[in-house]
Amino acid sequence: MSGFMRGNVALMGKIAVLAMITAVLSLLTQHAFVQKEYAIGSFILFAILALNFTYLTKFSIPLKFFAPGILFFIAFVIAPIIFTLSMSTYHYQTGNILGKDESTAQVLALGAEPDGAGTTFDINIGETPSGEYAILVSDIANNKFFISTKDKRTEVPTSGLTLNADGVATAAPGFALISAEKLSANDAYSKVRYYFDGKYYIAIEGLNVGAVFQQSLSYDAASKSIKNVVTGAIYKDNGRGNWAKVGAPDEMLTPGWRAPVWFENYTKLLSDPQVRTPLIKVFIWTVIFAGMSVLTTFALGLLLALALNRKIRGRRIYRSILILPYAMPSVMSILIWAGMFDTEFGAINNILHTHIAWFSDANYARGAVLLVNLWLGFPYFYLICSGSLQAIPAELQEAAAIDGANPRQIFRKITLPLLLQILSPLLIASFAFNFNNFNLIYLLTGGGPRETLDGQIAGATDILISYTYQIAFGNNVQDFGLASAISVLIFVLVASISMYGLKKSKVMETFG
Amino acid sequence: MNNWVRENLWRHILAIAICLFSLFPLYLVVLSSLSTGGSLHLTSFVPTEISFNNFKYLFSSPKIPYLHWVQNSLVIASTVAISSVVIGAASAFAFSRLKFKGKRFGIRLLLLVQMFPAILALSAVYVIMERVYKFAPSIGLGSQAGLILVYLGGSMGVNIWLLKGFVDSIPAELDEAAKIDGASAVQTYWLIFIPLATPVLAVVCLLSFIGTFNEFILARLFLVEMNGRTVAVGLQQFIGGQYSQNWGPFAAGSILASIPIVIIFLSLQKYIVNGLTAGSVKG
Repeated sequence: MSGFMRGNVALMGKIAVLAMITAVLSLLTQHAFVQKEYAIGSFILFAILALNFTYLTKFSIPLKFFAPGILFFIAFVIAPIIFTLSMSTYHYQTGNILGKDESTAQVLALGAEPDGAGTTFDINIGETPSGEYAILVSDIANNKFFISTKDKRTEVPTSGLTLNADGVATAAPGFALISAEKLSANDAYSKVRYYFDGKYYIAIEGLNVGAVFQQSLSYDAASKSIKNVVTGAIYKDNGRGNWAKVGAPDEMLTPGWRAPVWFENYTKLLSDPQVRTPLIKVFIWTVIFAGMSVLTTFALGLLLALALNRKIRGRRIYRSILILPYAMPSVMSILIWAGMFDTEFGAINNILHTHIAWFSDANYARGAVLLVNLWLGFPYFYLICSGSLQAIPAELQEAAAIDGANPRQIFRKITLPLLLQILSPLLIASFAFNFNNFNLIYLLTGGGPRETLDGQIAGATDILISYTYQIAFGNNVQDFGLASAISVLIFVLVASISMYGLKKSKVMETFG
Repeated sequence: MNNWVRENLWRHILAIAICLFSLFPLYLVVLSSLSTGGSLHLTSFVPTEISFNNFKYLFSSPKIPYLHWVQNSLVIASTVAISSVVIGAASAFAFSRLKFKGKRFGIRLLLLVQMFPAILALSAVYVIMERVYKFAPSIGLGSQAGLILVYLGGSMGVNIWLLKGFVDSIPAELDEAAKIDGASAVQTYWLIFIPLATPVLAVVCLLSFIGTFNEFILARLFLVEMNGRTVAVGLQQFIGGQYSQNWGPFAAGSILASIPIVIIFLSLQKYIVNGLTAGSVKG
């Protein structure tokens, strides 16, 4: 076996796999650079070099073991974290998603206005013999006819034309009509600016109507501004991702681009009441939710563990049933509970003979969330507590009993403090987990009830993480910048909580 | 007798009450999967008639490509589980057994970063994969391959950390002996460590399978196409907003999808509980 491992076959195999991976990744790098995704492209290039260097040299044996793991770790854990950090310093939301060049190009493309008179012509859409899109324009008022393509206009003498009853030209030499079906399959023709004269062009307004437009916005590279040649207005980069009118900063051209605003998203969290008030509300509920969840699940789990901490009949059966909620895929359980709380058809109203709209009232919804989380979470603490109770030396309790303590005193003075000491890291971990228990909130209540009327998107059961999700992916404005800032804030909070827990569990001491 | 009552009666009452609480939703789902009505409505605790229409509907209705969903979930979860253990085990071995510069820093970084809940980086992952889509649509946003990559990468920190815990618990004497006999690190890994660690790796693999199977939100963002969804996303979308109509088939579908997970979980109970006390929390 070891001969085989060292043998030529293994070496060939290694080189073949490495070559294949290199080939695939190289192709990806090339595509990435073509599409101007330089950061991603460079990372893939780095991965290629790192892998080849690691496995073709004897530089470091440990590196051979963790190179793939580390590369994945950097690509999908570290990079998103750094990206989140960087997004949090940007004005990056709906309307400001693109890069600056891209958004300016779009602004200019949209910057066209009809000529003063609003001239329109009857047209027919077709192509030239060379296959270029063309329109046959009938300027009936002036009795002029011409064929326009992207960059030229050819007058057609009336003699060669076929006119219909309205006097509109329908056929001309050097012009072939395209059928309506073909046009509806591909709308590229409608984006062409057909030549009219140097200043104006004809834009297609409908299958038989063309209107005279002129490019109104033009970019001036020297002054780095955009000018509207029709109105004379000047637009300058407002430093926050938009071209804004000089003298009227609220008049902005759309779309904007994502622009660095440094700590604005963070200061907004603290100072803008529109952001701060719901955030504080959500934060308080998050802490209550996580705290109550830990407390209730731990209490019930512990109670059960105490009750079943002696060999009573049927203990094994009880145990198997009690951990079922934990064994079920939680996504399914939460959806089932959501159905049970349904107002019209849910079993809960059915049994209680009530007609409560559970998820429309803030307090009912919060109670429901806690109840479901109790169901989902108590088996975990039941299992943990059962194990830990056995780990507490029986001598301690026996000694206390000999000293005359009753069972309640023994529990309060000896068992519980010891248990809390053993379990405190797990309690903290559970708090941190519930602090970010996105699935439960999202699938059960969706964060609601929400008062959408006043434009607030924070719901009564929204916890920080589901609120962040709403901000980034909700139906209103999608604000990646603000969402990222809140994400960073949550990370700092959760990391501090967890670090504290880990210090307690002495994991850190092992590594100094 | 009196003594028995005082000592044990409350234990049974409590246990039975909580057992009922545990079983209630599950019983209800079984009941509605076998009923003809379409809601989690309780008409009686004992079914009056048993019908398998909901199960039949699940497999025949063109509206729910249930088999596709199951297949997607299985493919995605097993690919992620196996690959993450293969990649993670090697890293964990290095972090646990080999000496190298920067090891302590690496371990601390892993520990810190695994606390960054993957969901917080959601918008970043979304934007990154959107860009990947521009030059490689088959592994970008909207593709299963892309989702697998994100899962695989995203779980790397936690998995290496978890596996390292398990690896630490395997006695080091054997591979030290091998080292003294002149075995290289690679040989020690394949010939000594892997055979020893196989049961542990299998457990981590199954845990990772369950975790991925349960993942909802990334799958929801990534898989837009009806036939490409996972069971969790598919069933959630299926009942979304129209509880009354689709609960029967949903109940049937969630039972079928849950059974294998419950079986895996119950059979691994012992290991999972040990894993739990090591500080991991099942999603």
